[in-house]
Amino acid sequence: MKLITGGAYQGKLDFAIKKYNINTTEIVNGETFDVADLSNIRCINNYHLFVKKLLENGENPISETSKIISENPDIIIIIDEIGNGIIPLEKNERIWREQVGKVGCLLAEKADTVERIICGIAIKIKG
Amino acid sequence: MLILITGGSKNGKSNIAEKIITSYNSKKFYIATMIPFGEEAFEAIERHRKIRLNKHFETIEKYTDIHEVNIDNNSSALLECIGNLCANEMFENKIENPTDKILSGIFKINSRAEVFVIVTNQVGEDGIEYPKDTMNYIKNIGEINRKISEKADCVIEAVYGIPIVLKGELPPCLL
Repeated sequence: MKLITGGAYQGKLDFAIKKYNINTTEIVNGETFDVADLSNIRCINNYHLFVKKLLENGENPISETSKIISENPDIIIIIDEIGNGIIPLEKNERIWREQVGKVGCLLAEKADTVERIICGIAIKIKG
Repeated sequence: MLILITGGSKNGKSNIAEKIITSYNSKKFYIATMIPFGEEAFEAIERHRKIRLNKHFETIEKYTDIHEVNIDNNSSALLECIGNLCANEMFENKIENPTDKILSGIFKINSRAEVFVIVTNQVGEDGIEYPKDTMNYIKNIGEINRKISEKADCVIEAVYGIPIVLKGELPPCLL
């Protein structure tokens, strides 16, 4: 598994497509994809929004993530960094932000490589 | 040895800090700044207590006025975190600009410690224009972080659990 992270609009998806030679049909969006349809998929984009969807459906993002990465060991996952701001007033926003942190730590621990993209520039922080 | 650890929410800052402290043999002090109020604070405190279990920390609860903290000479200390401490000084103690007060407390503790690890927060990167008090809070934390960084031997950013060196060298226990 490979992990790509960084703030919003830093060029994470472009970087993934170029570096790993991914066809756009091989990418799913975290907001909309179904876990059952991961065959022929190489990249999950917006994983932080997938975490939000899981929470809205009352599911556990940590166990779902463990399952996805054990069943798809070659998957490329793109997740935004969202925890570098003021603690949100709204409780669900706080839970989402913290769960994204924990899920990100799990992904980074399991990943062979972690790349962080800033202004389109990739910095390898693991692997 | 002064070490500053920054990073986003739940990005593994405490874990890294405690790894560093437990690599030293000196007496360990944990300076806790979170006021135990409300369910989420209790959960956070409980989580951090579990991480520290069996690591023989002496806990000092100090929500404001950390210049009053006394640690043994040549001990190791972990302060967690600047975000809480600054909020407590500003919103409980009603000090609009506690930057200098907090920094003098920090440097006093540092002068006694063999190693002093400080956990702080990145709070100014969401681009949202908050009310004046909150903007002032963001400014104060930014200033405190910069001033600690100037004196620190090592500054680390935790990104999803991965320690990234911003200044100095990673302590051997993290390699």
